[in-house]
Amino acid sequence: MSQAENFYTTDTEPYYLALNDEVEIFHAAYSARLPVLLKGPTGCGKTRFIEHMTWRLYRETANPLEVPLITVSCHEDLTATDMVGRYLLKGDETVWSDGPLTRAVRTGAICYLDEIVEARKDTTVLIHSLTDHRRILPIDKTGELVNAHSEFLLVISYNPGYQSVLKDLKTSTRQRFVALDFDYPSVELESIIIAHEADIDAAQAERLAVIGERVRNLKQHGFEEGVSTRLLIYTADLMNAGIAPRRAAEVAIITAISDDRTVQQAVADIVDVILP
Amino acid sequence: MAVLAETEDTLALFTEGIAGRYFHIKATDEFNNHRRLAYTTERASQGGDALYLPEQVDAPDNSCYRVLVMEQLGLRECGTFTFRMEKALQNIAELNARYTEPKGATARTGDFHLLFGCFAQPALATDLFNLLEKSRVQGHLQRAYPGLRRHQQSYYQHLLLTEELSDDPINIGHRYLWGEISGAGQWSSLGTALEYLAATETSVYDSVRALCQFYDEVAASYIFQPNSLYAEQDESMTDWLNREQRVEEWDEQLEKVDDMVMALEMLQAENMDAERGDTGDGAVREADVDINSLTDERDTLKRRIDMERSSIAHALGADRSAARSFRYDEWDYLQRRYLSHWCRVYEETLLGTGEEDTASLVEAVRTFQPMVQKQLEQIRPSGLQRVSRVQDGDELDLNAIVEARQDIRAGHSPDERFYSRKERLHRDVCTIFLVDLSASTDDPIDPPEPFDWANYDENTDDNMRDPWYSDLAEGEDEGPKRKIIDIQREAMVVMASALDALGDSYGIYGFSGYGKDCVEVFVAKEPNQGFSQRTLQSIAAMKPKRSTRMGAAIRHSTHKLMQSGHAMKVLMVISDGFPQDSDYGPERGNHDYGVEDTARALAEAQQKGVETFCVTVDRSGQDYLKRMCPDSRYLVIEEMADLPGQLTKVYAALTGR
Repeated sequence: MSQAENFYTTDTEPYYLALNDEVEIFHAAYSARLPVLLKGPTGCGKTRFIEHMTWRLYRETANPLEVPLITVSCHEDLTATDMVGRYLLKGDETVWSDGPLTRAVRTGAICYLDEIVEARKDTTVLIHSLTDHRRILPIDKTGELVNAHSEFLLVISYNPGYQSVLKDLKTSTRQRFVALDFDYPSVELESIIIAHEADIDAAQAERLAVIGERVRNLKQHGFEEGVSTRLLIYTADLMNAGIAPRRAAEVAIITAISDDRTVQQAVADIVDVILP
Repeated sequence: MAVLAETEDTLALFTEGIAGRYFHIKATDEFNNHRRLAYTTERASQGGDALYLPEQVDAPDNSCYRVLVMEQLGLRECGTFTFRMEKALQNIAELNARYTEPKGATARTGDFHLLFGCFAQPALATDLFNLLEKSRVQGHLQRAYPGLRRHQQSYYQHLLLTEELSDDPINIGHRYLWGEISGAGQWSSLGTALEYLAATETSVYDSVRALCQFYDEVAASYIFQPNSLYAEQDESMTDWLNREQRVEEWDEQLEKVDDMVMALEMLQAENMDAERGDTGDGAVREADVDINSLTDERDTLKRRIDMERSSIAHALGADRSAARSFRYDEWDYLQRRYLSHWCRVYEETLLGTGEEDTASLVEAVRTFQPMVQKQLEQIRPSGLQRVSRVQDGDELDLNAIVEARQDIRAGHSPDERFYSRKERLHRDVCTIFLVDLSASTDDPIDPPEPFDWANYDENTDDNMRDPWYSDLAEGEDEGPKRKIIDIQREAMVVMASALDALGDSYGIYGFSGYGKDCVEVFVAKEPNQGFSQRTLQSIAAMKPKRSTRMGAAIRHSTHKLMQSGHAMKVLMVISDGFPQDSDYGPERGNHDYGVEDTARALAEAQQKGVETFCVTVDRSGQDYLKRMCPDSRYLVIEEMADLPGQLTKVYAALTGR
């Protein structure tokens, strides 16, 4: 079963520091109802960006939704059924239950399919009819043809780095989206983000951002991705809670990114010289 | 005592992380020094693509290597190699006063060579400059890498205790940097200068200014013999690295001139069009002159860059910045022991240029594919399978539903597993094909029969060959002879396309090299890459190279297989003869050493859980393969054309269990 995480808009704005013009682009894409593809490495802020944008878009809308953003984290056993819906056994009868995608299509929420290439091939084909001028979702099990709500928008994310070539996104799928490229922020911006998220002082945040920058030079060595902004924030959180910086980095960064002893030692050495 | 071999793998990663680019971590005695270059194996130094560190350092622990690495990287971060004499002369009056252009100076003369030539004892000036730069770098490192300070302190403390005391100011300066403030004595002003350089963000020109300021005072404390060591100006690594950086600047300059020439040419063409029929007013002529002088400038620059590149390669060694390198042990069967960190393996990605002829490879795939596919299909799992009675799935399982309904009616609690779903069965196999790219693979497949000259008769020449043989000979004359490498390449492409269809991951490496310090492994395809046109080109780019140091190549492949994390690991070595290399054993003609080392490498792989198999196309391979490979894991192929078919059989047998 898919894991559908629901995000409720509240009064508090999800923090997001724009690195480029992505906020304007997303706004424009949303007003034209163009589906959006977010590309970028793990933990660089894709999910946070979409939460932030949902908050912005639904803040002043006339259609206050209970669930304005439906996130589906895709995994390799995720099938079209998991997204569209299935029959459930309920008492004496079998009843149809909408999947997360169908729910979003009916209510006009933003549906965010995280790491779409992880899912089985049949799911990517499913979104084709939703992402062109037709904006319909055919449900073959019930024979229904659902017309998308006028406010419905499909957003997918994908990480070109670690999937194998076999799992690349098909051109026919890729060419239906406005693609926004994400990457880890520069040391200056990342320091600001870390300092804000974990509430630590600027100097400490800057040291952590430098660690991030240097450790990312090592990607492709035993770990597919560099250390994510998220991990740096975790480290800062631990430091904030009174854990010594080197120990915090050890548990949040070093052991988290690789199982290879040599790589771990090298990352530990890098952390060691950068931290005061 | 700290030992480089124990820490070099970690150190290479550490360096790459800090510097943002790869450096080979090498022992100082791996540098092929030539006589005129000032180089000592006792001190750390660097080349264009490598850091040279002493094999052993008298220090309390391995962290001293990190200090040494950081000192070298610091020189790059602080811009020591960006020094330009022209700029120094403009800004530093003291230097200007000392400078007269030396005889024989050309555009290619190194900037540091010019700088140190300004002083009566150039080698002393070099040492003093290095001391000043060291202080500047040390200051920068302490600001940018505060965690390094405690390692520096402990290492420097150790140096202070162990290094000899001496009165000369350079030595006093070094001790000052290591933290001995009290010993400065009459050199306290030098100490102040060192502190100034360390305290703020200064540039290499500040060090040069300090050099001008202190040189005379320092030189006065030495008594120079007419042929003292300091009087000669040796070539220095710093100068070469500086020149290396300068070539890059020249490259940019060349690009600019190139653009200008192009723009002028276009402009001229336009003018020509516009003024066709016009009598001409000289404007075109002028542009002509401009273009001519510019193209001249471009050509001179190009020539200069080429010459400089080759001098740099000669001084610092061939540029291997695209490769990564690793050191491996070697088994010395004569002494019955491992030679620790003996062979250096360079791993390089084989990139096709796009001009390789891939037609024959595509043809080979077409010919062999059906046969190979048929064999491999026997081990292919049947793709997606529907699994019934699971808790979660895309379809309801009708039988389970009926049973559940019965249970509910009967008042029992029903089984919750009433779904069915499709599941893919995985094979978790990773294979590396290690292909011998020694020079002998350039030989034709069928060497001509040795001709019996004793019975040579001019008249019977034609009759000596039976009809079958003469047919063959005629056929050969039509096109170039097929070589061993051709068959190896074809076999690899056929295997690649077949395994791709099967879904197994596989890598294709070629190996060769010359000598223990240069074993080369060429990666045509990594296991995690897909099969594409690029793979085809890379395989086509596999060319016969030099020797066959098999042991090191096998150890490297095993190392990579172990990192792949697959459940089943297979290493297939495809060669055309016994292992041999220039220094593979005490005598070149005796192959026992190489065979024993290879046997040991294969046994190590086996112990680590890697299935090994050797295939050779050397018909006399039976005797040494028997000694080399465990449990008859080898095959001698009589007919070269059988290679793809035989490989498939072996593969199916190895992985199909």
